[in-house]
Amino acid sequence: MEDKGLFGKILAIVPGLAVMIGTLYVLRVYVEPWMKDAVVFGRKGWLVQVLSLNYILLSILTGMFYRNILFGGKIPAWAEEGFRTTRLFIKTGVIMLGSLYTFDKLLKVGGIAITLIVAFVFGTAIFILWLGKRLDADRSVTATMAAACGVCGVSAAVATAPGVRAKPVDLALSIATILGFGIMTMFVSPFVGKMLALSDYQFGAWVGTGILNSGQVLATCLAFNPNFAPGTAVAYGEIWNVVRVICIPFVVFFITAWYWKGEADAEHVSLGSILASKFPIFVLGFVGMTALSSLHILGAEGSETLHLMRDVMAWVFGVGLVGLGAYIDVREIRAAGGKPLRIGLIAGATKYVLALIIILAFIPKEGAF
Amino acid sequence: MSDKKKSLTVFRSDRHEDVAAIIASALIVVVVLTYMAFIVPSVGIKAPQDGKLVEIFVAEGAEVKKGDPLYSLEVVKKKWVNNVMEEKVAVESFTAKANGKVLKVSGKPGDAVKKGKQAIVVMEHEKGTLP
Amino acid sequence: MTPPVTPPMKLLLALDDGPGARRAVDEAIRIAREKGATLDALFVIDATWDVFTGHDWLSGCNSRIGFLEYMQGLEEKAAAESARAFLELRGDMPGELLTAPGDVVDVIREQAAKGYDLLVLSNPFTRGLEVMRDAVARLTRDAPCDVLLVRADTK
Repeated sequence: MEDKGLFGKILAIVPGLAVMIGTLYVLRVYVEPWMKDAVVFGRKGWLVQVLSLNYILLSILTGMFYRNILFGGKIPAWAEEGFRTTRLFIKTGVIMLGSLYTFDKLLKVGGIAITLIVAFVFGTAIFILWLGKRLDADRSVTATMAAACGVCGVSAAVATAPGVRAKPVDLALSIATILGFGIMTMFVSPFVGKMLALSDYQFGAWVGTGILNSGQVLATCLAFNPNFAPGTAVAYGEIWNVVRVICIPFVVFFITAWYWKGEADAEHVSLGSILASKFPIFVLGFVGMTALSSLHILGAEGSETLHLMRDVMAWVFGVGLVGLGAYIDVREIRAAGGKPLRIGLIAGATKYVLALIIILAFIPKEGAF
Repeated sequence: MSDKKKSLTVFRSDRHEDVAAIIASALIVVVVLTYMAFIVPSVGIKAPQDGKLVEIFVAEGAEVKKGDPLYSLEVVKKKWVNNVMEEKVAVESFTAKANGKVLKVSGKPGDAVKKGKQAIVVMEHEKGTLP
Repeated sequence: MTPPVTPPMKLLLALDDGPGARRAVDEAIRIAREKGATLDALFVIDATWDVFTGHDWLSGCNSRIGFLEYMQGLEEKAAAESARAFLELRGDMPGELLTAPGDVVDVIREQAAKGYDLLVLSNPFTRGLEVMRDAVARLTRDAPCDVLLVRADTK
């Protein structure tokens, strides 16, 4: 590839980025207010109240529409570079979420989050290792699915794959399964949450424990309650998320060790090297942001400064979510099948429902902050 | 051509992207804080939730100190208590977050206000403080 | 009735690593022998894995890079194996063996448009991530030349 230089690179980003920002602008400024007042089935605001459509879900849906219908399955070359900035936006948003907490708040909820997540992560992983044997699945398929369903969906699958010598076809099928399941839960969960009258705290805890992909946890929380403030679903869900993301290296280590156990030419797996190569650095930014907020540098709660900050955060996330939608290729997900699909569905659904039962039984509705 | 396979992100690697995200969020924080502290000439204080204005404690031209009450709002407070959503009407007063001067009072008692929509009080704040 | 002298027929064989790979190679070689054609084979190294994992934006740090490197390694291994099998079966037939990275269908279409008379591939066509997509449908929709789909071995 010819080197276009920094300026050329920035220029290449512009068209795609403009599409993402423009889309979000139209959705937030025109479409959302219209939906609030639109009368459907004789009820004002039906779209918002019953379908819980807000700009978050709309951004994702519009992104999916671009990719799958408008662009015919592929992001065109002129927009490609711009859409590649998607993850930068989401990561920046995640880091800024750190400003919703102070350390004492994190400590209050962190204990419950860590307990639930560790129990579910290793519970799911062990369950899948057993299930894989029952279904007579390939060891590498089982290992990838265990990581994927255990912690962070695709991130974990991708982190584990090389260590357990996963085959391309199996991997593609596993990833498709996880994505399909995740997207389904992303649209179903807000309904269920509203139907069971879950509080923000319960919803965040449930989704954070039960949904496979970490990204989808955020999107689902925002679909349930699009506000960014302490005590909203996204504020709780993100704590769960951060704990999960930190868990990835440990799960990868555990599963890789399982995979090579009893093999004569076992690869040397060390926790240290896995930590060094797979630790998510952006979590440090998140903690830094929490530090700033703990020191009250970001403005007092209820101040206009914080309002502006959270508004910016909502825009940053929104742009990222349009991009996220555009990376969802429906054809690829429809192709999911085989053993990964069976394992994924059984384990994913069990985890999802079990998490809901446990949250309903043990987590009070009143939030910790 | 082999570079192409790693080009999901516009950065050289995902590590770079992580760092870039940290820098980007730091930049946003710096820009927002500087803008609010030094650049913005006056700030319209908006209601943080829907409600009805009960009283406005300040007059146009008055000097206020951080912590001084500005206005009070009758709001419906929703809270989960013993797993039941408790709704009660309460009057809450909202204070100034920075020292400054009241430029304009646009609301009057009895007005219904919407969250984040219209300014109730417009304030000029001391430079370097966060309103 | 003999047709005017025409340049020899040009065949393009798209190699894959699925269950039908062997039959497609056999068919292509048989036709090429019959017609005295040149037979070029093309193996596309799938370079779209990065976009596939792009669904998850948190797959942070080096895990994704390690993954992409691992996939690249596997793809290259598959390319080498496929090439070896093809060369063995082909013997001394004229033609080139091409390997190129990119989006599988796009690269095949581009190559097929370079004056080939017939494109041979197995059905289903399973090269890289094309297992998840419908490669045959995309290839045959206004294909730049004739296309022969060779069914996979039936047991």
